[in-house]
Amino acid sequence: MDNDLDRTLIALVECIAQVSTMPLARREDAFRRLYDLTSARLYGVAVRITGNREWAEDALQDAYLYIWRVADSYRATLAPPLAWMGVIVRSRTLDFLRRRQAERIDTSQPFDPGSDDTLASPGAGPMDTAQASEQAWALHECLRKLEAKQREAVSLAYLRDLSHGELAAQLQLPLGTVKTWIRRGIEQLRGCMAHYA
Amino acid sequence: MDLMRHPDLADRLAAAYGMGTLRGAARRRFEAQARERPMLRALAIAWQERFAAMTELQPGIAPSPNVWKKIALELERQRDAASHGASRAAGRNVSVGRWRVLAIGGAIATFAAAAVAITLFMQVDDRDAQLARLARDSRSLSQKNVQLASQLQASPDIRYVALLSDDRAAPSVLVTFDPKHNTLTLKRLRGFSEGEEKSLQLWALPPGGAPQSLGVLPKGGVAKLTAAEGQLREAPALAISLEPRGGVPGERGPTGPVLFKGPVVPTS
Repeated sequence: MDNDLDRTLIALVECIAQVSTMPLARREDAFRRLYDLTSARLYGVAVRITGNREWAEDALQDAYLYIWRVADSYRATLAPPLAWMGVIVRSRTLDFLRRRQAERIDTSQPFDPGSDDTLASPGAGPMDTAQASEQAWALHECLRKLEAKQREAVSLAYLRDLSHGELAAQLQLPLGTVKTWIRRGIEQLRGCMAHYA
Repeated sequence: MDLMRHPDLADRLAAAYGMGTLRGAARRRFEAQARERPMLRALAIAWQERFAAMTELQPGIAPSPNVWKKIALELERQRDAASHGASRAAGRNVSVGRWRVLAIGGAIATFAAAAVAITLFMQVDDRDAQLARLARDSRSLSQKNVQLASQLQASPDIRYVALLSDDRAAPSVLVTFDPKHNTLTLKRLRGFSEGEEKSLQLWALPPGGAPQSLGVLPKGGVAKLTAAEGQLREAPALAISLEPRGGVPGERGPTGPVLFKGPVVPTS
């Protein structure tokens, strides 16, 4: 947990939010610094959701421009800054995928988690705790206690906003198996997260 | 089934809701109950937050430098577009979806100035002393404001007052409410002109409800609108948006940018 980083990120977001009182050049400088400090982490999120680096870059660009526009709404949330940005990146990336789907581009190209080295499961290795909130640390500890395949199912279900059926298709597993993993995964997380409430 | 009588099931469903795997009819049933049950809602939000932390756990990967280049280009494009439309009204960028939050946030900044205005109304006998204080306390309240105070002296039953400011916190419109005549009086303090094709529309912002139209302002000077006291009592803030000429239907809420906003202060 690095409160200095959080404080820096909050200060940058608040600077960007001062649309009427802060000179544009200073807001843009702050935005550039925010990007430098967070883009690798958030690109990781977009890559994991899309399974495709090029799409992830498009979605990341869209998400940062969105953050630029709505920086003043950060103050109304109580979330740690990186989690706030992470949720924006996830939802903009999912929107990006839905638009692609709607435009019927590459609809035949399924997610292929197995063949892409960018899709390493989170929580499997030691965590870079320097950049995570307390909430993230708790989740990391609890995910670590799940079996690898359950952890994978739970992570993908959330990050890609998948139903049981969609998850089964992507993991190429029987629906019943996926349902069981998710159910057990949730049960274990509930038990574990209760210790961090 | 009342989920709050089954806390274990409620928590399990809230976790599935937060993760996103609760779908279809089960999700709709859960949402319906959560809307009515704050405790269930709190559980769902807690789980959403827990899963949101998943975004912090992904391994970092440096994106290509092209991503920032494209972002910078887009910012530049926006900058150019903004400077071409130079005569745009202040506050143009404030999106309607966020204006309520901004109104409340701005409330704190405008409160001091509003307090000066109230004092002015309540102690008209002592006007000269108030004038001196006014000059000291608030550089933004202009001489016009004082003239308004003496106009208002003729109708001293002022129950609510609101000082609406622009996005630079400069007091711009003074609103008073007279419950005897159900009349809102609005005085422009800064000579803002909405132009021929636009109108200013006044809105009450009740907490948790949709903005309520209180009417469209005639051009210039002092405007009088009819309103019920309840509309003021229930709204902690007022706002004025820039709309197509003649205003927009009240039930759909404002469509244009919010130019002025401020808290409603009861005078007693």
